[in-house]
Amino acid sequence: MTRVLLYVLIGILIILYLLLLAVSKVVIPEHGPRVMGEIQNLLGLPMAIPFALSILSSFGSVLSVILLASSMGNEYNWRTIRTVLICSESRFKLLGAKLISAGILVFFGLLIGVIAGFIMSLLTTAIGGYAFNFDFVTGSYLWDQFLQFWRTYFVLMPYVLLGFLFSVVGRSAMPGISLGIGIFFLESIITTFMVLAGGWIAHVPDYLLYFNVRAITAMAGLPEEFAAGMAASGVSIRLPSPEHAFITLAIYSVAFVVLAFYLFRKRDVTV
Amino acid sequence: MTTQTTTTTQPNPVKNNDIILRTIGLTKHFGKLEAVKNLNLELRRGEVFGFLGPNGAGKSTTVGMILGLVAPTAGSIELFGRKRDGNSWPLLRRVGAIIEEPAFYPYLSGWDNLEALARAIGGIPRSKITEVLERVNLLDRARDRYDHYSMGMKQRLGIASTLLRDPELIILDEPTSGLDPAGTKEVRDLIPQLAHESRAVFLCSHLLHEVELVCDRVAIIKQGVMIANAPVHELVTQGQLLQIKVDDTAQASNILKSLPWIKSVKVEDGYLIVDAPKDSASRVNKALAEHNIFASELTSRNVSLESVFLQLTGGESGD
Repeated sequence: MTRVLLYVLIGILIILYLLLLAVSKVVIPEHGPRVMGEIQNLLGLPMAIPFALSILSSFGSVLSVILLASSMGNEYNWRTIRTVLICSESRFKLLGAKLISAGILVFFGLLIGVIAGFIMSLLTTAIGGYAFNFDFVTGSYLWDQFLQFWRTYFVLMPYVLLGFLFSVVGRSAMPGISLGIGIFFLESIITTFMVLAGGWIAHVPDYLLYFNVRAITAMAGLPEEFAAGMAASGVSIRLPSPEHAFITLAIYSVAFVVLAFYLFRKRDVTV
Repeated sequence: MTTQTTTTTQPNPVKNNDIILRTIGLTKHFGKLEAVKNLNLELRRGEVFGFLGPNGAGKSTTVGMILGLVAPTAGSIELFGRKRDGNSWPLLRRVGAIIEEPAFYPYLSGWDNLEALARAIGGIPRSKITEVLERVNLLDRARDRYDHYSMGMKQRLGIASTLLRDPELIILDEPTSGLDPAGTKEVRDLIPQLAHESRAVFLCSHLLHEVELVCDRVAIIKQGVMIANAPVHELVTQGQLLQIKVDDTAQASNILKSLPWIKSVKVEDGYLIVDAPKDSASRVNKALAEHNIFASELTSRNVSLESVFLQLTGGESGD
């Protein structure tokens, strides 16, 4: 499962880069030189890491939700939960070990995704006949990318932990995967409607996941059309501050973990 | 149906008063359903204990409560003389179990599955994995993926996993399910061996003949209530059947049915099968002779555990 998800992630990155390269070579009059320039800019080496991280924050979330929900849910599906629990010192330790190991896998998945994105950027630069220039690699650039890496890791967590929670609640991988991914996509649509509704409802998304995730991913400084994994809705929105976003997402993450632990410890294992 | 049962239960040399498992008033409710009601069990070291009941009787719930997978609604469980409370790992570490059917990671080999469990348990050397795989005759297929195993191999891996931690109490739920006759015999021979190694074996099985052969004592549970708990030999001899050959089975049957101390009379293959108290053959013979009916054959036969089970549970499948 882990290997398959990694192949999918790398495959998505390769396809996306090749599509962008193809688009950058096609002259579409109504796009104008600005958009074409932005696409070529994205394919360039300085934007390789932030762009890869931006993609990983969206597609990576989906794959990470599948990974974590499966890691717990499959224990129920395969009925290994009883075998493992009988051999485990405590349920707390078992769930903790699951979370830590899945967290490590997500970290390496992100790292491999970033490396794959950079390699693809090198390839598209070569194929596109653009100049190789590494002057952008400075201390502050590397520090920014380091921070953005951890920001991306951080914004994955609420959705991933939500999927994990639902797999514990539903005692199967499927509720975790479907609800985790479903909320990930539905929330962006619902929050758009909330903003359009105006009034106090327009402020509700500030306390949900999507706007706060975007507030943090926006710190990468990508063009708006490509921010948040190119999921921009076109509706003019006012994102919360990064501090607000960080606190809100941290609260959600902790709440999902605590609830998952509480339910896992309390409930009977009868499967 | 003619059943002639031979019981091979032998007194166990290591059996003593060391109580390995005791449940006191164990009760479990799932909402309005009372899955287990006030269950009192005792299992001693060296004993093979059969736990029987129709499907849905509460066997797996009981096992789940013993293993800490299911929280009892009321009552308590003592393992190795100590009450199981919050931190029961030191006690549960001494228990090996397979519940209902063995379940392992399908993408790992048998060896890797056992290694993963050994790591989770802690303090188990790799040599122990070899030892238990050898004991269940699975060493030569240890490196094959679990999902390529036959049902019998899966069962054997399940038994191997219970032996990993050298348990003092082994809980086996349907251990011979899916095994071929040779495999069934191997496991049936293994169970008393395990008990003779100063362990206790808690065996849930639907194969009553198998239970009768290997168990020292059995408890029968129906709809969560224990309806019998006795040594196997007591259960199978508490009701003795008499097999009688007479010329006029209809008249003889009527005569015997009129006697208040006869529990039941039925005709099978031209014989009268009479459920009468033990040592009542002469009284039965006398009663028939008083009506000028003379038995040409009168033999006693033991009741099989299966008959006792069906009688006590009313022949319910529970499904």
